[in-house]
Amino acid sequence: MTSRSENRAGVNPPARQLTSCGDVSCELLVDPIPRPTPDPISVTLKPRLARVTFLDHHKPNSKTIMTYAQRILIERGIEVSQEILIKDDASNRMPEAMLQSFAGEGGLVLCGISD
Amino acid sequence: MTTYATLEDIENCMNNGWTDGLPVIPPYGSLVDEMLEAMGWQALDVVGEMASQNIVVRAEKAAATAVMAGCKPEYGVLLRALTQGLLDPRLNLSGVEVTTGGAAILVIVSGPVVEQLGFEHTTNALGANCRANATVGRFAQMMRYFCGRGGGVLQSHGTIGHPGRISFCIAEHPETQWGAYHTQFGLPESASAVTLMSTEGPNSCNNHYGVTGAQILDTIGDCLCHFGQTAWYYRSGGFVVVIPPDHMALVAKDFNRAQASDYIYENARRQTDLLAQVGRIASPPIEFAEVQPGELRSPLKNREQITFIECGAEGGRFSAVIPRWVGSTHTVCKQII
Repeated sequence: MTSRSENRAGVNPPARQLTSCGDVSCELLVDPIPRPTPDPISVTLKPRLARVTFLDHHKPNSKTIMTYAQRILIERGIEVSQEILIKDDASNRMPEAMLQSFAGEGGLVLCGISD
Repeated sequence: MTTYATLEDIENCMNNGWTDGLPVIPPYGSLVDEMLEAMGWQALDVVGEMASQNIVVRAEKAAATAVMAGCKPEYGVLLRALTQGLLDPRLNLSGVEVTTGGAAILVIVSGPVVEQLGFEHTTNALGANCRANATVGRFAQMMRYFCGRGGGVLQSHGTIGHPGRISFCIAEHPETQWGAYHTQFGLPESASAVTLMSTEGPNSCNNHYGVTGAQILDTIGDCLCHFGQTAWYYRSGGFVVVIPPDHMALVAKDFNRAQASDYIYENARRQTDLLAQVGRIASPPIEFAEVQPGELRSPLKNREQITFIECGAEGGRFSAVIPRWVGSTHTVCKQII
């Protein structure tokens, strides 16, 4: 049985940027490969419902800041969810089910602040 | 001296997927700018789209590819027409790239530009060791490879492919018996043009002892009709027939171009039942394949599916048949202006 080289062109996506550092100066090589453009993202600036849900992601002080914000919003009469949801790890994207749940919220989702 | 730096840049391109498998000229910005000017474009001009991949192709990509393929800036006007042709959706560039059929883009150059840019149109015309043929053909294949794979998203699936996937450019004799190749697509005789299509590799047709045009056309017709010919099931592609001077001298005595097409269409046929027997016709037949059991079957759906190009050297009695790939039925012919 033979195995394919993982480094050969066509197996790995081509590099997006290469530079040349010759004797004179560094020059950017022009990428010859056109890349796909992602579909446009639609952003809703004004939530459909006046309700706030919190999502913490375990960054230092994040939970403290969120609890503080939660208290202020409640004092101002804004509907907030009592439970502060937690994403396991700030370095990983949230699970698809959690993302879909937030997408259906209709209100504002406040996420933990990255440092 | 920047020799070692340049070699390092070549290796860097090779190791990072900016290659067709051969060493490339590194696409330094200064070289790309010069090529852009020669092609008559600004860097960010949109020169085409690969709609199914959400890809917009800008001029700098084509110019960088031309530099990498080794094209001279003086080819710029030709490369402009060629780029537009390559990105014409009718050519189905992604389809050509990924098909199991292993097709390549055939570039046919015809008209005064052949001599102006120094294309080889005689010796080894289908695989000329000439910079213009080699690099223009390579540019087309690199564009197929770079654009057709959706920026690295798609993979090629050619079962065996053919050598033309590295470079496949044929230039026609400036003086022809039957008129310039591009006149078969409605352009005037005096024009210069590039014509593009997706094809399999060429089949050689040897006949050294025939003495009539009909014998030569029968030999060519037989080459269209071997069992392995892809055309049998759909008949959607067609063929390019390459006729060098010695065969042309015999054929042109008895036939004009239209008559030669008619002759091959009428006579190059094979028994449908025999094709079915060896598995070259689906059972039951596919409706659009227009199978007629018991009848003789042509590999051509109509006479227009066969075109003729006059090139090659004197002194050998060979012709060639180039089968089109069945998945892109259109030929794109662009005048070089």
